[in-house]
Amino acid sequence: MRRVIGVLVAVGLLCGVGYVVFLNSNGGADPKRVQVLIGSEKAEFFDDPAVAAEFKANGLDVRPQTIGSWSMASADLKDVDLAFPSSRGPAEEIAKSKGITAEPVRPFYSPLVVIAHKAVADVLQSNGLAEHAETNPWKLRMGPYLDAVKNNRKWSDLKNTAGHADLSGEIYLTTTDPRTSSSGALHLAAVSYLANGERVVADDAAVAGVAPLLKKLTDKQGDQKTSSDGPFSDFKSGVGNPLVLVYESQVASLKAHGIPMGDLVVLYPDTTVWSDHTAVGLTPEGRKMAELLRDSPKLRALEAQHGFRPTADQAAFAKALEGREGPTFAADLTVAQIKQAQVAAVPMLARLVEAAKGK
Amino acid sequence: MLRRIVPALLTLALAATACTSEPATPDPAPNPSKDGVLRVLAGSELQDMAPVLAEAKKVTGVSVEFTWTGSLDGADTVAAGQADAKYDAVWFPSNRYLRLDTAAKGKLLSETPVMTTPVAVGVRSGMLSELGWGDGSQVTWGQLGDAAAAGKLSYGMADPSRSNSGFSALVALASAFSGAGSALSDADVSKAAPSLQRFFSGQRLTSGSSGWLAEAYQKPGQNKVGALVNYESVLLSMNRTLPEADRLTVIRPVDGVISADYPLSLLASAGQPAQDSFQRLAKYLTTAETQQKISAATLRRPVTPNVTPAAGVPTDLRRELPFPGSRAVADGLLSTYQNDLRRPSRTVYVLDTSGSMKGPRLEALKTAMTRLTGLQDPRGVRRFREREEVTLIEFASKVKSERTYTVPDKAPAAELARIESDVRAMQANEGTAVYSSLREAYELLTRQQAAAGDDRFTSIVLMTDGESNEGMKEAEFRGWFGGLTERQRAVPVFPIQFGDAAKAQLQGIAELTGGKLFDGTGSLDGAFEEIRGYQ
Repeated sequence: MRRVIGVLVAVGLLCGVGYVVFLNSNGGADPKRVQVLIGSEKAEFFDDPAVAAEFKANGLDVRPQTIGSWSMASADLKDVDLAFPSSRGPAEEIAKSKGITAEPVRPFYSPLVVIAHKAVADVLQSNGLAEHAETNPWKLRMGPYLDAVKNNRKWSDLKNTAGHADLSGEIYLTTTDPRTSSSGALHLAAVSYLANGERVVADDAAVAGVAPLLKKLTDKQGDQKTSSDGPFSDFKSGVGNPLVLVYESQVASLKAHGIPMGDLVVLYPDTTVWSDHTAVGLTPEGRKMAELLRDSPKLRALEAQHGFRPTADQAAFAKALEGREGPTFAADLTVAQIKQAQVAAVPMLARLVEAAKGK
Repeated sequence: MLRRIVPALLTLALAATACTSEPATPDPAPNPSKDGVLRVLAGSELQDMAPVLAEAKKVTGVSVEFTWTGSLDGADTVAAGQADAKYDAVWFPSNRYLRLDTAAKGKLLSETPVMTTPVAVGVRSGMLSELGWGDGSQVTWGQLGDAAAAGKLSYGMADPSRSNSGFSALVALASAFSGAGSALSDADVSKAAPSLQRFFSGQRLTSGSSGWLAEAYQKPGQNKVGALVNYESVLLSMNRTLPEADRLTVIRPVDGVISADYPLSLLASAGQPAQDSFQRLAKYLTTAETQQKISAATLRRPVTPNVTPAAGVPTDLRRELPFPGSRAVADGLLSTYQNDLRRPSRTVYVLDTSGSMKGPRLEALKTAMTRLTGLQDPRGVRRFREREEVTLIEFASKVKSERTYTVPDKAPAAELARIESDVRAMQANEGTAVYSSLREAYELLTRQQAAAGDDRFTSIVLMTDGESNEGMKEAEFRGWFGGLTERQRAVPVFPIQFGDAAKAQLQGIAELTGGKLFDGTGSLDGAFEEIRGYQ
C-alpha cells in the first residue's frame, strides 16, 4: 500500500505543487511553532480554537497539516515536529525510520463502528446478525455477517424486511477505499484476523487463505469513496447503503456537541479494530506536544468532546456524552465485551489491500 | 476534512519522478492561483448555487470562478493533467467516474461532499393515472421499461457517455434489470441488455447537458415527451415554474437509485492561496445555516444531520445501487449503450465547402469530421455508432454532393474508413447557399424516413463559415419550414458557427428548429464532438 500511495504522492501531488513556498519558522518567537502532520479525521479537533488556546497556554503554536495517515510513513519528515497518524502501523514505521526508540505516545483511540437506522438494526437483530439488550450498546455479530457475505445473502433472504424500500440487494458494509483511507484498510485487518481463526495474518499462506473473502466484500461495494467523510455524509443525507463503517469518533463528536442524528444506531462489531491515534515526537517540542495530548486534563476533555477516547482517562469519553440525546455508545469497550482484533503489520496489511482490490 | 499538502513532501524525490521524465510538459508552469479566488471546473447543474456562492463571497471573501463541462469529460480533463495549472478545484455531481481512473484520482487532494440528490424520473403528472401508477411512490424501473416498450411513455435523458445523470440512470437500470445484488459485472450488463433495449425504445430526446432537455421538454409541439430522466432536484425545481399541465411527478423507482453527492474537490496542484480559499469555502458550505439555504435554493438534500431538507423534498429511503468498481465495466456499459441498446440515429451533416473555406478552414473541418470516424473511443463520445445512418451533404452555391452511409452493427471499420476517405476528398469553391441546402437536408430526411419506415433519433448539423448569400432567403425558409408536417419539424438543426459565420442567422435556425447553436471558432473539433451528445 505504501508503494501505491507513494506513487500517488510522487506523481499526483509533487508535480503540480513543486513551486509552493513553505514558510518555515525558525523559532525565536514565543510560543514555539510546532509543525504537526495529522490524519484528516483529526482536522476538526485541531481546528477547535479551544484546542489551539490550550497549546498556546503551554507555549506551543501548533500548525497542523492534514495528510492521509498511510502516506505519512513515506513522507519526508524534515521540519516536522510531530507525526500523528490514525493508527499504530504508520507510527511504528516512522519511529523506525527515524531511529526513535522511545515508546510512541497514544493519547487517544477510537474503534471502528457500523451505523444504521434503528429499523435496520432491528431487522439485523431479528435475523441473528445483531444483538442488543436494554440499555446496552448494539453489537454487530461478525461471524454471521461474514457468513452472509460469503453466501451472497440478500436482504430479501431475511425476515421482517417487508416495507423497507432501502433493504434490497446483497448485505454488505460500505467502507472507504483501503488504498487511500485507513478506516477501509483497518476493516480489512479486522476481517482478515477473524477469517484467519482470530490470528493476525503474518505469512503468505494466511494471506492466500483470507484473500477470497476480502476480495468479495470489496467487489460487492464496487466504487468506494476515498475518505471516511464520504460514506458518513451520504448516510447523514439519507442516501447510500444502509450499513456504513465509520469511526466511533465521527458519531460521538456529533452527540457530544448536542447535534441530533434522528434514529441513527451505533453497532459495535463484536470484534473490531481500534484506530490508535499514535503520536511520534521527532523534536523536543513534538515530544512535549504528544505528552500534553496524553496528560493535559483540559486537552483530554476536548479530545472526548470531539468523540475520541483518551487513553489515560477512561471516564472522559462517557462524561463528554453524559446527558446528551442520541445513539447509545459503549462507556467502556471491555465491559461491553467488544473484542479488539490485532492489526497486521504494515507490509502484510499492504498485501491484504492488494488482495482485496486486485483485479 | 482538508488535506493540506505537507511542505516537507515537496522536496521528496522531485527531481527523479515523472515530472521531469515527461517531455510533453516541459516546465510545470507556476500555478497562478490568487488570494480569495477559487477557479473551479464544474458541472453546469451548479449554476443554481449562484445565490449561495454570492453570500459565501461576502462571508469568506472567496469568489468562485466557474468553467462548465460535463462530469465525464471533466474526469478526462483531470486525468490528462489538463486541469492542473488552470483550475484549483473540480466540482461535479459525482467523482465516481473520475475515481475509476487511477491517474485522475491521484490528482485530487481532498473532497468535501456538499449536498445530495438521487437521479429520478419526472413523469407528466397527468399521465400517472392512465399508466396506473397511483401517486408514483411505488413505481419500479421495470414498470417504466414496460410503459416505454408499449409506446405509452416517451422521455428525454442526457447522454450517459457525457453526463452523470444519464450515466447514473444507465447503471441503475442495468442493476435493476439484471437483478444484480451488488456492484455490476460484465455478465450483469449482458443479462440486462434485452430489458435495457426495451426501456430505451422510449427515449425521444438525448442531449449533452441536462439544461437543454428541460428547455426541450417545455417547447410546445416538438418532440413532446412524457417524462425526463434527471436529478430529483432539477425536476422539483422545474415544477416551480412549469405551467400546471406540464408539471412533473418525481418517481424514485423503488428498486433503487443512484445519488449524486456534489463533492467540492481540491486539486493537488492548487497553490497555497487556493488551498486556503478551498478550506474556507468548504467549511462555509457545510455549516448548518448554509446547508439550510442550499436545500431551500436547490431542493437538494443537506449533508449535515441537524438540517432538514427543504419542503417538498421526500425523505423516505430508497436502496442506493452500487456503482461499478472498475473502469472496464463502466466503459463496457457505455459502449454497449451507444452501439447496441439505444435507438439508432439518423444524422445529416450539412457542410459548407464554399470558396472561403479554402486552406486551413477546410483542413480544420476535415480533421474534425475525421475524428468522428476513429475507432479509439472507449466509452463512445465521438465516433459514428454502430447502426447509425450518416449523410454528408456538401454545399456551396448549391448542394454539391449527398452521400449516405450506414455503420453496420458488426465490424464497423470499413464503413467508417469510407466516410473518412470521402471527407478527405472534399474541396472548397463557390458561394454559400445555407437555406437552400438546409431545405434539401429536410427533404432528404423525409425521403429516408419514408423509405426505411423506421423511427430514429434524427438531427441535422449545419457547419458554415459565412453568411448565406445565394439561393433561398431566410424569410422564405421560415415560411417553407412552417408548412412542414409536425414530424418533419421535430428534426432539430445544430448549427456550428465557424470563421465569419453570421451568428444571428445560425441562432435563428437553432431557435426555429429546436436545436442549439455551437461555437466552433475556438475548437471546431470540440463543437463537432459536443454535438454527438445530442444525436
